[in-house]
Formats: sequence, structure tokens, C-alpha cells
Amino acid sequence: MTRPARQKESRSLRVYARLLELYPPSFLQRHRAEMLQNFVDLEDSAESKARLWLLIGKDLAISLISEFFRSRLGRYVIAVFVAWMLLFAIGYFFYGPTPGHPALHAFGGFLPGMLAMYIATRLYGTPQNSISHFFRSRFDIYVISVFVAWILLFVIGYYFYDPTRGHPALQVFGGCLVGMVAMYIATHVYGMP
Amino acid sequence: MSKSRPPLPLTPAVFHILLALFGKERHGYDIMQQVKADSEGAVKMGPGTLYGSLDRMIEAGLVAKGNTQEPRRIYYRLTALGQTTLRAETERLSRAARFARRLLGSA
Repeated sequence: MTRPARQKESRSLRVYARLLELYPPSFLQRHRAEMLQNFVDLEDSAESKARLWLLIGKDLAISLISEFFRSRLGRYVIAVFVAWMLLFAIGYFFYGPTPGHPALHAFGGFLPGMLAMYIATRLYGTPQNSISHFFRSRFDIYVISVFVAWILLFVIGYYFYDPTRGHPALQVFGGCLVGMVAMYIATHVYGMP
Repeated sequence: MSKSRPPLPLTPAVFHILLALFGKERHGYDIMQQVKADSEGAVKMGPGTLYGSLDRMIEAGLVAKGNTQEPRRIYYRLTALGQTTLRAETERLSRAARFARRLLGSA
């Protein structure tokens, strides 16, 4: 990996280098070294850290979304998202437009589930195919941590809502797991962008 | 995108990148600074936007990489199609500006 010629890396550069991992590998392979050097140049000429990070934050938000949706995985996510919206609309139609209905809860859980799994694959690499490798990578530890955190949330929700069937915590929890599984399958079928 | 016909209209980012590369090969940071200067600060792009645009422009045949070996400072240059596209877009914008001025002048 090529690093910018610099005696000592700043903390900002280290953070930026970590954030770059969110880009598709093919994009990084072409531009990682250039982008890090550009960041060093921008940092050197920036009037303040706040202005620098404002520019970088805006740039990351726009370009990450753009690069993601250009990939096959991105198109899959759009398709799943549209299908989920459709399911949500059907659920909304059948349950009536009351606040806090099941379709809304499941939908609310599904999106962070997909996002959590996507961030995991970007930061820690593609999931292992073999079950024998499970629990050994940072990716798996991340997934298990999210799972445990979610169970904790579920238990708290369960405690507050009483142990009735079909309560909101259960619906959000189910939606999140389905979202994680949907993204997990996508990364295996389509590969990373 | 076709490699023989100018892909018009261009986005502001693509137009300014083409303009920055007119007559001179530049590396990424140099392009960003030139775009900022040419647009009087109206178009500010970061590395992600710049290289995403450059990838698409290379794919469309508007821009090519220069003969540089240094991975941190890759130079980019306009192709013949890039120059044609830049001229065509400038002409299109001029026509639109002329029309707008005429319209606003008569209002």
C-alpha cells in the first residue's frame, strides 16, 4: 500500500484512510494513493480542521452513495429496498394507518440491519464462506457484537412492552435480522462492489 | 456513453474538470484547486467526487491518464473528444446565456 511521503501521519489522515475503506475495492485500487496524497495536500492548505472535514464529509457522502449505486450490489440493494417498500405499503394498507403498526417496525429494523452488515463487509472484509471459519475473523466478531447489542435492545424493549406476542421490539428485531441476512446473501451472490 | 459524440449536457463538475485540463496535464489536487479558482469558489470538489468523475470521463473517452509512474501523482489530460466536448458545451452554454439575456432584457 502506497502512503503519502510524510514523516508522521496526522490523526486526521489516519481517520480518512480508515473511511476510505468504505469505497468499493476496485475504486480504491485505482485511487487510494492519490486520494491520501490529496488529503495531505488539502490538510496542509486548509484554513481550519472544521472546514477540511466539512468538505471531506460532504464529498464522502456524495461519492460513496454514487459509487455504491453504480455497483451490482448497489442495484441489488435498490431492488430489495423497493420490494421492502412494497411489502411495507401492503402491511400499512392491511393494518391501517395507525402509528406503531408491525409493518413500520419491521421496516424500521430492516434498514439498519442491511446498513450494519454493509458497514461490516466494507470495514472487515467479505464474510467467510465456511462455517468452520466463523468466530475467527474481525467481521464475525463485529456481526456477533451487533447481534448481542440487538438482543440487549430486544430484551429491554420486551421488558418495557410486556411479554405479549407481536410487540414492537420483536418486530424491529426481526426486521433487523432479515436486513442483515439480505445483505449477507447479497455479498456472497454478487460480491463486493 | 458514446466515444464518438460529445455527451452533452455536462454536469458542472465534469465541465469544470475539462476546463481545468484544457491545455495542461494536471494531477488530482491541481485539478481541484484549478476548478475552485475557475469557478470562483462555486464548485468545490473533494477527492471522492473528483476521482469518481475522472473514472466516468476516462470511460467516456474524454480524459486519459498521462505517462506518470508515481501512483500518488497521476496526471490526467484531455483527449481529442474531451476538447470537442468542452467546445460544444461552451457553445451550448453561451447560446443558453444569450437567450436568457435576451429574455430578461425584454422583460
